[in-house]
Amino acid sequence: MSIDSTRLELLLEDSAATEALGARLAGCVAGGCLIHLHGELGAGKTTLVRGFLRGRGYSGAVKSPTYTLVESYPFECDTVYHFDLYRLGDPEELEYMGIRDYLDQSAVCLVEWPQRGEGVLPQADLEVYLEYRRAGRALRVQANTPAGEALVECLQEHPVS
Amino acid sequence: MIRLMERLPHDLYRADQVREMDRVAIEEHGIPGSTLMSRAGEAAFKAMRGHWPRARRIAVFCGSGNNGGDGYIVARLAHEAGLSVTLYHLGERERLGGDALSASEQATHAGLEALPYNGEPLDGQDLIVDALLGTGLSGEVAGAWRGAIESINASGLPVIALDIPSGLNADTGAVLGAAVKARMTVTFIALKAGLFTASGPGYCGELRFADLGVDPAVYVGHTPACRRIDAGLIRQALPARPSHSHKGDFGHVLVVGGNRGFAGAAKLAAEAAVRTGAGLVSIATHPEHAGLLSVTRPELMSHAIASAEQLTPLIRRASVIAIGPGLGQDGWARALLARVLESQLPLVLDADALNLLAADPMRHDNWVLTPHPGEAARLLGSSSSEVQRERFLAAASIEASYGGTVVLKGAGSIVQTEGTIPEVCHGGNPGMASGGMGDLLTGIIAGLVAQGLDLQAAARVGVVLHARAGDVAAQEGERGMLAADLLPVLRTLVNP
Repeated sequence: MSIDSTRLELLLEDSAATEALGARLAGCVAGGCLIHLHGELGAGKTTLVRGFLRGRGYSGAVKSPTYTLVESYPFECDTVYHFDLYRLGDPEELEYMGIRDYLDQSAVCLVEWPQRGEGVLPQADLEVYLEYRRAGRALRVQANTPAGEALVECLQEHPVS
Repeated sequence: MIRLMERLPHDLYRADQVREMDRVAIEEHGIPGSTLMSRAGEAAFKAMRGHWPRARRIAVFCGSGNNGGDGYIVARLAHEAGLSVTLYHLGERERLGGDALSASEQATHAGLEALPYNGEPLDGQDLIVDALLGTGLSGEVAGAWRGAIESINASGLPVIALDIPSGLNADTGAVLGAAVKARMTVTFIALKAGLFTASGPGYCGELRFADLGVDPAVYVGHTPACRRIDAGLIRQALPARPSHSHKGDFGHVLVVGGNRGFAGAAKLAAEAAVRTGAGLVSIATHPEHAGLLSVTRPELMSHAIASAEQLTPLIRRASVIAIGPGLGQDGWARALLARVLESQLPLVLDADALNLLAADPMRHDNWVLTPHPGEAARLLGSSSSEVQRERFLAAASIEASYGGTVVLKGAGSIVQTEGTIPEVCHGGNPGMASGGMGDLLTGIIAGLVAQGLDLQAAARVGVVLHARAGDVAAQEGERGMLAADLLPVLRTLVNP
């Protein structure tokens, strides 16, 4: 693990480890934030989101938002939005769906396939990259803002159990 | 230098990845683009001559991109070999640039004139070379391009496509409005994922591969978009049995299904499980026909199940449960599914079990789901045409929501497990689009799980076995093939 507070790299052995990392991330998030999730189809992006929601105490079904674009999970003090922009035809479509409203209300937004919304999506606090490895997946995290750095530092302080 | 590979590689890539490999081969490994284009043309010409040695008159259709450039090379080589070549171009010739322009000029110097194609009839030709549209295509094919594709298909002549049949999406295998139906496709540098699923296998015909002699280093750093699986897996997964084996060593499959009037589906799944080598197979089915099943196939232990509680002792003895074939969606079906979902055993869900799951979604990591595109659409709240447009996406999305291993059936079946590269099987044939084929796959996968394969391996090997059995059975004719025709073949295949 590096000591740089803007980046973090980990190996995740299986989907349970991906889920656990998601839950850790949830424990670190203190307010509204935008997290981009990068990775190929099947790399475990939705698994990470499921872990995040489990970390928040949500126990219901977590549906991939591929065909709905967004799924929302209301909690007592805020809402978590899970986006999947894979099927977005044009970044402009994000304006029509009122993406600003989602982002402005101090919500937690987890966005899969953010590259499809390039130009309209603002800079993320945190970029998360999931890549296949021969066994398991490699996770790389990059902070772009002070809020993102706080997340990285928090993740570094609470290693996977 | 130009080799046509005897065996296809297993790694498949997206078009943007192959474009990058192309760039690296040219810019970092110093192979001029014109050399790659010449090699592509030579490889295609060689494949064409090998396969159609008696073709004397050919029509070559060239577009205005690099794919067209490959076509100009083939046209010139054919002309130099003494064939009668009619050369057609589509799009503005002025748009030809770089290597494609040089290739067209070489064809002109050799004495070939490229004519604009205006829908002339193609009769009198022996063969058509398709070099209209390459892997960069994403929008719908329209106008003159579409007209040319339709003329080519309407001619009924054999077609050899360069790199990819024009009109096919290289990433998804979807037809973009219209696509050339090729008898053979020679693809270059790397295999494109879209050649192996959706409409890909049907439009490619026989697939040949030429790596154009690029350095293996150009592939480094590209995670394949998916991997091809084929019958080579079977021997690896199913070694010969030790002589002191006992039926208990090979597991016990419980097939749950066969509602009133649908006994056949459950029976086919059960027979497939036995023929795949499961030690024991039980069927939990509707009381109406339970007795009949035991009589027609005494090796299967058929149990009349009137209520979910009666399943409990059967589940206790099973090592894997396959549920869905002929299950129906009534109260009986729902109660049985609910009871099965309480068990800790590995599960295979198919047919109506998937429809019930779509209505009441849950996630489970210890199951294989085997939807066809219609069931996939229900699981996703989408439509089967949407599913078919992007099959890799649909499979990944089902896996993300429902967990486990997902087998998206249909031409180019996709096996998707979380955190692993998707796998695609391009075996099988249109004769398998008939009733009961899906039930067989369910039974095969369950039969493999019973013998100790993990779910992902069972799904992968099961899909390959199923496709292979279909292809062997189809040697006696695709039309009129019955699901049951695959059963004796299965037995041969699982004893490699």
